[in-house]
Amino acid sequence: MFDFLTIDFVRHFPVIAVMGLFLCAFLVEIFGAKNKYIRNTIVLVAAFGAFALITSLVKPVLFDGEILAYWMGNWEPVSGYAIGIGYEIDALNMFFALLVVTTILLAAIYSIKYMARDHHLGHYYTLFLMLSGSVLGLVLTGDIFNMFVMIEIMTFASVALTAFRNNKFGSLEAAFKYLIIGSIGSSMTLAGIALLYAQCHTLNMAQISAVLGSGALSPTSICAFALMFAGFGVKSYIVPFHAPAADAYMTAPTSISMVFSGMVNKAGVYGMIRLVYVIFRAMDITPIQLFLVTFGTITMFIGVTMALAQHDFKRLLAFHSISQIGYVITAVSLCTALGLEAGLFHAMNHTLFKGLLFLTAGAVLYAAGTTDLDKLGGLAKKMPKTAVCFLIGAFSISGLPPFNGFASKWMIYQATFEKATTTGNFAYAFVTVVALVVSVMTLASFIKVTQAVFFGQLPANLRDVKEVPLLMRIPMWIMSALCILTGVFYNFVQQHILVPAANAAFGVTKYIDSMMGEGTAAASGISDYAVQGVEGIVSIWNPKLWLILFAIVLIAVFIVILTGDNTRGRVLEKSEEDSEDGKYATFFGGEKSAHSHVSGSDLFWGFKHDFKGYFKFIQGMHSGVVNDYALWVVVGAALIVVFMFATFMFI
Amino acid sequence: MLDIIINTIKNAGFVLVFPGILFVSIAGLLLAGIDRKVLARMQKRKGPPILQPVYDFFKLMGKETIIPHEANKTAFLGAPIVGFVSLVVIMLFLPIAGFEAPFGIEGDLVIILYLLTIPAVALIIGGSASGSPFAGIGISREMVAMMAYELPLVIVLLSVAKVAGGDSLAFSLNTIIDAQAGGELFITKWQLIPAVLAMLLVIPAEVGTQPFDVAEAETEICEGPLVEYSGAPLAMFKLNTAIKMFIMTALFSVLFLGGINLGIEGWYGIVLNVVVLFAACAVLTILCMTLIHAICARLKIEHMFKFYWTVVTALAAISLILVWIF
Amino acid sequence: MIIVNYVVAVLLLVLGLYAVCTQKNLIKVVLGLGIIDYGINLLIVSIGWNDGGTAPIFTISDLINGVSSNFFVDPVPQALTLTSIVIGACVDAMALALVIMIYRKYKTINSDEVRRIRG
Repeated sequence: MFDFLTIDFVRHFPVIAVMGLFLCAFLVEIFGAKNKYIRNTIVLVAAFGAFALITSLVKPVLFDGEILAYWMGNWEPVSGYAIGIGYEIDALNMFFALLVVTTILLAAIYSIKYMARDHHLGHYYTLFLMLSGSVLGLVLTGDIFNMFVMIEIMTFASVALTAFRNNKFGSLEAAFKYLIIGSIGSSMTLAGIALLYAQCHTLNMAQISAVLGSGALSPTSICAFALMFAGFGVKSYIVPFHAPAADAYMTAPTSISMVFSGMVNKAGVYGMIRLVYVIFRAMDITPIQLFLVTFGTITMFIGVTMALAQHDFKRLLAFHSISQIGYVITAVSLCTALGLEAGLFHAMNHTLFKGLLFLTAGAVLYAAGTTDLDKLGGLAKKMPKTAVCFLIGAFSISGLPPFNGFASKWMIYQATFEKATTTGNFAYAFVTVVALVVSVMTLASFIKVTQAVFFGQLPANLRDVKEVPLLMRIPMWIMSALCILTGVFYNFVQQHILVPAANAAFGVTKYIDSMMGEGTAAASGISDYAVQGVEGIVSIWNPKLWLILFAIVLIAVFIVILTGDNTRGRVLEKSEEDSEDGKYATFFGGEKSAHSHVSGSDLFWGFKHDFKGYFKFIQGMHSGVVNDYALWVVVGAALIVVFMFATFMFI
Repeated sequence: MLDIIINTIKNAGFVLVFPGILFVSIAGLLLAGIDRKVLARMQKRKGPPILQPVYDFFKLMGKETIIPHEANKTAFLGAPIVGFVSLVVIMLFLPIAGFEAPFGIEGDLVIILYLLTIPAVALIIGGSASGSPFAGIGISREMVAMMAYELPLVIVLLSVAKVAGGDSLAFSLNTIIDAQAGGELFITKWQLIPAVLAMLLVIPAEVGTQPFDVAEAETEICEGPLVEYSGAPLAMFKLNTAIKMFIMTALFSVLFLGGINLGIEGWYGIVLNVVVLFAACAVLTILCMTLIHAICARLKIEHMFKFYWTVVTALAAISLILVWIF
Repeated sequence: MIIVNYVVAVLLLVLGLYAVCTQKNLIKVVLGLGIIDYGINLLIVSIGWNDGGTAPIFTISDLINGVSSNFFVDPVPQALTLTSIVIGACVDAMALALVIMIYRKYKTINSDEVRRIRG
């Protein structure tokens, strides 16, 4: 049935997907500015088209291990020099492209109802499709300057979308900070690219990798590496580059927050992996591993502690995004098979559960009109379906079994401790401990959201809140289902998606050869990473257990149904004296208590008290002044440059 | 076909009888009874009969369940069940008493660690769903307590894993048991002595007995998350606490006592093992729960947090460093 | 001397970063961003420069006969510079537009006062 999908035919799909998104961005503005049906149709067609085109590549690229090399305008390399823009799709960027198109599709569906109350939606969808196209282009391209252009388009579209609801609290300043920090990051990337061009006289990533070869790097290349490293660091929002991300995720429309955390910072992570693993082939150098692991660990800790101190739903989620990216960076930079797979798995899971959580936050904002944790409460009674989705997302991100977050975090702990025992380096054991503790803190802050938004007492002004429309719930259900499925069938995911992607990152020679012709890698003395056991990984448990577990749960639910029927469970009646505004609620024993909902910022008093010095310091650091944030970026970048020189000059 | 049926019956036996629901419930309730009795004797009281928790359980099961008007009914009633199920699943992972754990082959420390958090999360969700402000305070404290004991627990588990595995990765409980098979129990290793102490201090916090029962604190916040519960769900939560007592002490015996295996063949060997294991659990319960309960007053939450993140964590960390060096 | 170009490029870069990090006036921050762009543009153009090279424009007969085709200024960095200039202009335009809107809303463009989101 799908015989027409030959390799030579599907080779064109990635480019068509990227260009289709850009094309539709303009079509929306031209034809859909007035009529909402035309507009929605164009957007859905573009999103679904990109999704279909990319998923049709899953079989050849991920399952069969093909690498699709595509030269724009058929400008193939001339006497070993790449002269055109090339797209190269191997399992690694295929993996990220899948995340991107899934996010695009779900965000597009969600936007239709969620954004319906806003004006000038033509602009919104134009920017949305530009953002989608640029991120997809970024992960698919094989040309480093093309990557830079995509990064810039991505930054613009993100900034404009952050400021889209410019009447809302803080959106303008968030957009401004995002633009300043993002531009500094892009400028560093561009400077790195320029220096790299001076060394290699090519812009093709495969060829750069071949030209840099296996010999020692020249000082110019080291500087280029450090600058690009810092540039992608800014794009993936690792500490200390993270501050504007939290602001932007908070103030952007929620469908866009989901896009930010689902694919924009994954694009940064992808750039990081491609840069360190493939272009510079530097990941097996121990100091660099330690450096990146340090960054990742600091990122996850600072992210989660900042999240604990927040009292806005979306800002809390934003800091969790930063924290989870810390996990990904930590795992990826171990340079072991298990580590890289764990990192990629966690990146994928983060897209799913954080997207889900942002969507539920959007639903709360849509229904209740605020995301302030101190003003919400008891919404589970009014929005039960959203509450269920939220709990699934919260349990996933906290890593409770059997959700997907557990599987990937389990792999991360395993990978870091394995690294600790095989290298004998105590620092990695410390990282395992930090990762586990951060996971508990993640759970704590989601307990806080659960209590402050969905459970507890319902404030009087939210008595007539309604469940969100079906079109907004569909993406949430899809994401919830994916969270559970990838958690239960983690074996399938690992075998068919993670192992090929990890092998692609380790197989540098294949990447170079399929782009620049056979033997290029061997000629410049480049070898694959020497990694043991990409395939053989102990499984957590077998499906047999799952069947029995489900059986137990079923029995338990059955018991509950039997015992919890009306003769046994009596709902306490509302007493007559209860005033209509719900100020007094009746509790067990018939006592009335004044409305005393324990809201978000009241929780975790003991913890906050013991760490008050730390919290004061770290919250003071996030001062909101754009100069301070810029200074962090400069200091961080300077640190990276110094470290890189020290590493490469003295090893 | 016959194989499948026999296997199913066997697995159902594991889940329902031993070491699953029936065994663990009885063992847990007995431990709770012993705890109460010994505590009473320590305070020069006569104390209730040892079977009192069992009577209490059945009494509560027969009482009416009242649900507050503000509560979310599904979460309120579902929470105790979820906690109970996860506790039973932990039991299926523990290779105790020389008995091959039904799912222990793949089972490992991280899974145990996470499954142990689920009953606490269930308690939190249930309390939160009741909507009562007392429960709100209670869940806040429960969560802080969880953060407090989780850090030392993690370090203890990693130390044990390092000793058991040497230069390779050993998160599997079976590897830990095998490493102690020759009679070289981990409790006798001098590097692990601080870890043993830390673990003994983690157990009462995990179970939530007296000096560390800040979340329930009945004299202060009326049993916190449990304040709105009555009837069968309350019975389930009480049962969960009792089971947790048994599971934590059994986990201790797996980590440091080799899971109690006397090495006698035959069915009476297994019975003997189980009896010895139960005795060991009772001793541990008296040592780290009853004794501390009898001599200490309840801590404040911030003191508890500080205690666990300084003293107990330091003990565990010393052990990890010693293990790493030697 | 081409070395002067590199020195000036780095100086511009540092100057721009200094401006972004220290200037409290948001317009000055945007100007700093512009200066960083100019520094990088200068850097890229200088990389392509060959001292004494010709413009990279040839007729087909020049190429076939190999006349002076070995020594010309690299055209690729110039193309990159053009792209970069365009992008830089967009960044500045967008940033200034945001500054105007911030001024309308906050009645100030002092960065110490434009910080409602913090902590």
